[in-house]
Amino acid sequence: MEKPIVQIDNLTKRFPVGNSEFTALSHLSLTIDKGEFMGLVGPSGSGKTTLLNIIGSLDTPTEGSVEVMGQSIATLTHKQAAILRNYHIGFIFQSYNLLPVYTVFENVEFALLLQNLSADERKKWVMQALEWVGLTDKAKSKPSQLSGGESQRVSIARAMVKRPQLVLADEPSANLDARNSHHIVQTMKKLNKELHTTFIFSTHDEKVMQYLDRIVSLKDGMVEKDEAVLHIQN
Amino acid sequence: MIRFLLKGILGDKSRSLLPVIVVCIGVSLTVLLNCWLKGVMGESLVMNANFDTGHVKVMTRAYAQEAQQMPNDLAILGADTLTEQLKKTYPDMDWVKRIRFGGMIDFPDEQGETRAQGPVVGWAVDLLSAGSKEATRFNIKKSLVNGKLPSTAGEALITHDFAEKFKVNPGDEFTLFGSTMEGSMAFKNFVVSGTVRFGSNVLDRGAIIIDMADAQQALGMEDAAGEILGYFTTNQYDNAKATAITTSFNAKYTQNTDEFAPVMLRLRDQGGMAEYIDYSTTMGSLMVFVFVLAMSVVLWNTGLLGGLRRYTEFGVRLALGEEKNHIYATLIYEGILIGTIGSVIGTGIGLSISYYLQEVGVDIGGSMKNSTLMMPSVVRAAITPTAFYIGFIPGIFSVVLGNALAGIGIYKRKTAQLFKELE
Ligand SMILES: Nc1ncnc2c1ncn2[C@@H]1O[C@H](COP(=O)(O)OP(=O)(O)OP(=O)(O)O)[C@@H](O)[C@H]1O
Ligand SMILES: [Mg+2]
Repeated sequence: MEKPIVQIDNLTKRFPVGNSEFTALSHLSLTIDKGEFMGLVGPSGSGKTTLLNIIGSLDTPTEGSVEVMGQSIATLTHKQAAILRNYHIGFIFQSYNLLPVYTVFENVEFALLLQNLSADERKKWVMQALEWVGLTDKAKSKPSQLSGGESQRVSIARAMVKRPQLVLADEPSANLDARNSHHIVQTMKKLNKELHTTFIFSTHDEKVMQYLDRIVSLKDGMVEKDEAVLHIQN
Repeated sequence: MIRFLLKGILGDKSRSLLPVIVVCIGVSLTVLLNCWLKGVMGESLVMNANFDTGHVKVMTRAYAQEAQQMPNDLAILGADTLTEQLKKTYPDMDWVKRIRFGGMIDFPDEQGETRAQGPVVGWAVDLLSAGSKEATRFNIKKSLVNGKLPSTAGEALITHDFAEKFKVNPGDEFTLFGSTMEGSMAFKNFVVSGTVRFGSNVLDRGAIIIDMADAQQALGMEDAAGEILGYFTTNQYDNAKATAITTSFNAKYTQNTDEFAPVMLRLRDQGGMAEYIDYSTTMGSLMVFVFVLAMSVVLWNTGLLGGLRRYTEFGVRLALGEEKNHIYATLIYEGILIGTIGSVIGTGIGLSISYYLQEVGVDIGGSMKNSTLMMPSVVRAAITPTAFYIGFIPGIFSVVLGNALAGIGIYKRKTAQLFKELE
């Protein structure tokens, strides 16, 4: 059995609020295996984003241990965390967060700039990523010229272009209509199948949930339910 | 990465436009100020050296004490011998004797009665001996309005404004009244050979220039001179050399306690000019410093505002695996790029205005009416090689400092919090 890609043991995260503290995650344990297509669900404020941020090494645990790809998040230096994100973790945000001054191509290329790749290689990878999301014809467009669905597909391409092992998607469909929501999740599902990339979602969206293989429900910073979903093949 | 930064700067007008404009203004002012000071200082300095201080000047100690009063009773005796000595010891320099004097001139009418009378200051310089460069130093040829240079003994030049006031023309005679070295009354008749305008209020108010030999004779100063001036043959003042020569010359007289022993002063040591230059240089540097400070504060604030808008970008970049240090470094690079763009444009603008002021000049005669500083009444800027790069220092420095201060905010915020701004 391969080592899990994410191993969380007894994680607690507290935020200072004024003079006291607020506990966002409490004694949470969770194991996520390579290649999973799973989601965190739960009411607003239940700690989904907080958990994703810690897995993505953007934040650190208060107590407990979080290992991502065998590395302990708590002990990573800034530099090590940056390298982990740069090579192995892709992020997809609710509000796309494309950089408006750059073209679609450059937005995706940006993710590769910190890696030692030649311009030719970068171009090849970027075009490949745009092909995955079906946007090769929009390479020269500016983000302002794209629809919401197209923007989110660019941000998927940006997360996927470096072929990370893990993609964290925080409410990726929240700003999209039904058709586009289906479309982007299908795209990610396809990439999950083809590239064996692990996807962790945070979502409220039923349309997204129906594609997930596993749903972990959070409540008040604790795991309330953890269930595998059986898909009826047709 | 640079390509991305440049595109980011150019694509995001709010990030670049205001900083570039601010830098432009500061840099063009710096360049302009530099050229202006260089021009005014340079011309004043040359004029001062030529008319008054020399590159070095030898006087008696007593004379040096009150040089502004032209105390010819304290003049150097045995000036010819001393001049010859100086020429031998310091052949790099051109040594000339001069007498400055004050007096009265009197223009008679046909009957020989006084028609007009007025006080003058006078310069006695070597106009007649072959190879003398004094006429060039006084820029007489170019300053001549009417008539010609003195060609024989007994001829004098007077300033044009003065001549106009007294309705005097070349060929007219006048009597110079002064006092001898011993303090008794002296007078001598001269013929006006020409009128001159030097373009400096101090000089043009009322002055005459006569030949050295005439003055020595008229003022009873045979073999005496108020001052012996030394000029570098290169015509450029060289402070290091002047210091060396001055030190070696004065060393010979340290044991001598006589108040009539000669003393040599550098241009910089003499009345007012050094302070004036130092003052102007300090003021210039201070103004540039104030520009830099003001620019930095403005740019810091634009940087802060721009930075707030850019937390999304920083958050995304952090998520993509960029380090805070790297983001901070790119902010500094951006500062250098924006500073360079602004400095190039600002230097262009500053140089253009300076060029205009160099060619056209500004007439400050009106405001200099009572000045005792020897300054040209039309002052010009001077474009020196320095002007091409001097503006880049405050230009780049201020944006980099502004961005550096603004960028500290990235460190102040926790990564996850920076990231929160995304939502
Ligand atoms: N930096 C912080 N300081 C203080 N409290 C915080 C901080 N970040 C998150 N919290 C709190 O932690 C709790 C969990 O927040 P989190 O953003 O993880 O919720 P969520 O499940 O993602 O909610 P939503 O569905 O609305 O996105 C919330 O109550 C939030 O107010
Ligand atoms: Mg959330």
